[in-house]
Amino acid sequence: MSEFGRLVLIFALGLAIYNLIAAAGGGRRLSAPLLASARNGLLGVAVLMTGALATLLLALLTHDFSIRYVAENSSLEMPRIFIFTALWGGQAGSLLFWAWMLSVLGALAVWLHFQAEVRLIPWVMAVISGVQVFFLLVLNFLTNPFEKLPVVLPNGRGLNPLLQDPGMLFHPPLLLSGYVSWSIPFAFAMAALITGRLDREWLPVTRAWAMLAWLIQGAGLIVGGWWAYHVLGWGGYWGWDPVENVALLPWLVGTAFIHSLMVQERRGMLKLWNFGLIIAAFNLSIFGTFIVRSGVLTSVHSFAQSSVGPAFFTFLGISVVASVALVLYRLPVLRAQGDFESLLSREAAFLLNNLLLVGIAFATLWGTVFPLLSEAVRGEKLTVGPPFYNQVNGPLLLALVLLMGVGPLLGWRKTGLRVLLRDLLGPALFGLVVIAGLYAAGIRLAEALLGFWAVAFVAGTVFLEFYRAVRIRRRAMAEGVLTALLRVIGRNRRRYGGYIVHLGILILAVGVIGSNFFKLEREFTVRPGETFSLGRYTLRFEQVGEWTDPGVRNVGAAITLLEPFERELLPYRKFYRNWEQTPASHIEIVTVVPWLEDLYVFLTGWSADGSATVHVFVNPLVPFVWLGAAVALFGGVVAAWPARQARFAPAAVPARGVVAGGD
Amino acid sequence: MTLTVLVAVALAVPVRADDLDNRAREIAKKLQCPVCQTISVADSPSELAAQMRAIIREKLAEGWTEDQIINYFVERYGEGVLLEPPRQGFGLLAWVGPAVVVVFGLAIITAAVRAWVRPRPEAEPALDPGDEDRYAPELERAVKDA
Repeated sequence: MSEFGRLVLIFALGLAIYNLIAAAGGGRRLSAPLLASARNGLLGVAVLMTGALATLLLALLTHDFSIRYVAENSSLEMPRIFIFTALWGGQAGSLLFWAWMLSVLGALAVWLHFQAEVRLIPWVMAVISGVQVFFLLVLNFLTNPFEKLPVVLPNGRGLNPLLQDPGMLFHPPLLLSGYVSWSIPFAFAMAALITGRLDREWLPVTRAWAMLAWLIQGAGLIVGGWWAYHVLGWGGYWGWDPVENVALLPWLVGTAFIHSLMVQERRGMLKLWNFGLIIAAFNLSIFGTFIVRSGVLTSVHSFAQSSVGPAFFTFLGISVVASVALVLYRLPVLRAQGDFESLLSREAAFLLNNLLLVGIAFATLWGTVFPLLSEAVRGEKLTVGPPFYNQVNGPLLLALVLLMGVGPLLGWRKTGLRVLLRDLLGPALFGLVVIAGLYAAGIRLAEALLGFWAVAFVAGTVFLEFYRAVRIRRRAMAEGVLTALLRVIGRNRRRYGGYIVHLGILILAVGVIGSNFFKLEREFTVRPGETFSLGRYTLRFEQVGEWTDPGVRNVGAAITLLEPFERELLPYRKFYRNWEQTPASHIEIVTVVPWLEDLYVFLTGWSADGSATVHVFVNPLVPFVWLGAAVALFGGVVAAWPARQARFAPAAVPARGVVAGGD
Repeated sequence: MTLTVLVAVALAVPVRADDLDNRAREIAKKLQCPVCQTISVADSPSELAAQMRAIIREKLAEGWTEDQIINYFVERYGEGVLLEPPRQGFGLLAWVGPAVVVVFGLAIITAAVRAWVRPRPEAEPALDPGDEDRYAPELERAVKDA
């Protein structure tokens, strides 16, 4: 199987190189046969890569321990379901998945747009093939997933226990796919720069793929938070950990892109800026893969020893230089005179939105690389932890939320101040009523009240937007409220889908404010029969017990929740064979509905005298985080769903359009 | 073990265990667990963090101040044990960087918009403030069936 896999990867590399040359040559000479050949080649790479991925999966499923990757990332007694997570649990596997996803998305993009985007497609194919060539070089020569071991082992080492979790079935592939999918809008942007077709032609298709990338990566981020919350045992869902941070970067910049391209669509401005954003999103994706895979995080010095670090760094450098050079080459055309009428306009609001999103992205990037910087400059590695991000990004996020309320009320070109203030008055008062209620309920923390006020205020403006549209529609079409609402959304999915995303973000913000400012947390060391309490919860520790599953030794603490209702809890630790030093955990999380909070019980340790140490958290409003994310993703799907005409567009253009025209 | 320390503390010094617990947690929140990535000593599930939490309580019970305890850990683990970079020396750069970029960006945007603004002759909003639905026509087009 190893030989077959290696052969497939070699063929895929050869074919990708051919595609690159054929697409670029076809693009230069406008040769239809050459371009058709490159297109078939891209489909071919997708088939080969699917074959390679299937081969690795088969090797894992059949426990072929002659292959190093299989031996290092799986074992005989591993539950079959986690064999899939082993597919992306290690370095070579995750890079193979990256390359496979790129080949599939690339083939899909080429298949969908080959006829409609005649002028751009040659260079789209060339750029995608270029990225593929890099990944296939890495897979063939630096970290080959099909590398053979000198001897066949009787059993494998198994997968890191932390990864043996249902969340890992979705989180890595979604996050990796998110990274990968920024390649497609990037390829279209590069094609626009190369061909000099810089007007609005590249925008709709680039937007569609950017929305897809935004959705996939957003889903990956939130599933990652879910996994961290349920597996890691520190009571939170987002820790500003470097690996999380670098995944957030392309998403933030992509969010900025999705907003600012509307300015170009409506007003023809910000061309240069939009190219910059999509180029940044792609390069940050490569940067993210580099950071995660190069070992540079442990220390700047381990970077040189990593097998793929230098290669990624080189590729990142080439990619940044090439894209910046292309932008500079087109600069005279891109640097169009802006046309503003007023600071009180939607254009200006989008500029501020972009500044805030890019500012948050920069602060996050800065915080992530700062430890490396301090290690390189001063020889001592400083830590940039959550308090830094909370203090730096917190105010920026608050400003972004407030802008979310004001921006949509601003018209294009200009808005009268008096009209704006009148529109804002209602929602602002609504916010005051809400926090007056919260104050009466005993909440005194100023930061939290400010946050809740902002959320209520923005929710009010979003409600007004829906209310206005529904009222007009009802008046015009004589429909019921619900029908009118659905039709309003259906008729203008981008706008109202966007508002649904905003609502989701607001719900998520409620969860973030609640869990950040009102978290209770305490560690207890208790003897059998002892009771302990935190907040409104009283628990009794019964005893420590031990049992075994295939390949796993479990130690758990039986605990009874006494107040406010009775429930048996059994938080436990899992000691996997070969991974005894890093036990995984089963955390007891009880979502208590009336207060919308989680009781989170984690077993820290136990001692020979029968006592146990448990870390108990009360996490208010955390369910809102998951709910908000789900609403936001749903809104994203509504906004991204292709319009009916666009869906059939490829077939509407005659095939021989390929050679016609072009410049 | 922690419990015995706590009991001893409660007996020895006139400080309530609850209060000491809170102060210990405040300190632990400022320290990074050395074997984790950006998780505080207060939150970390690791063995080492548990030991550090015990040490913090011990030192507090002995009457150490917060600064003394933090210095104690800095001496042992280096400045990297602080969960946020110090606001002095090289660490200050971490704090200043994002602020500079955002302020600079704001300045650029303001300058650019100012330079681009082309005021129309009728500077006052052409919209009638009394008009209930400012963009009613636009909306009407948007929400009705074609």
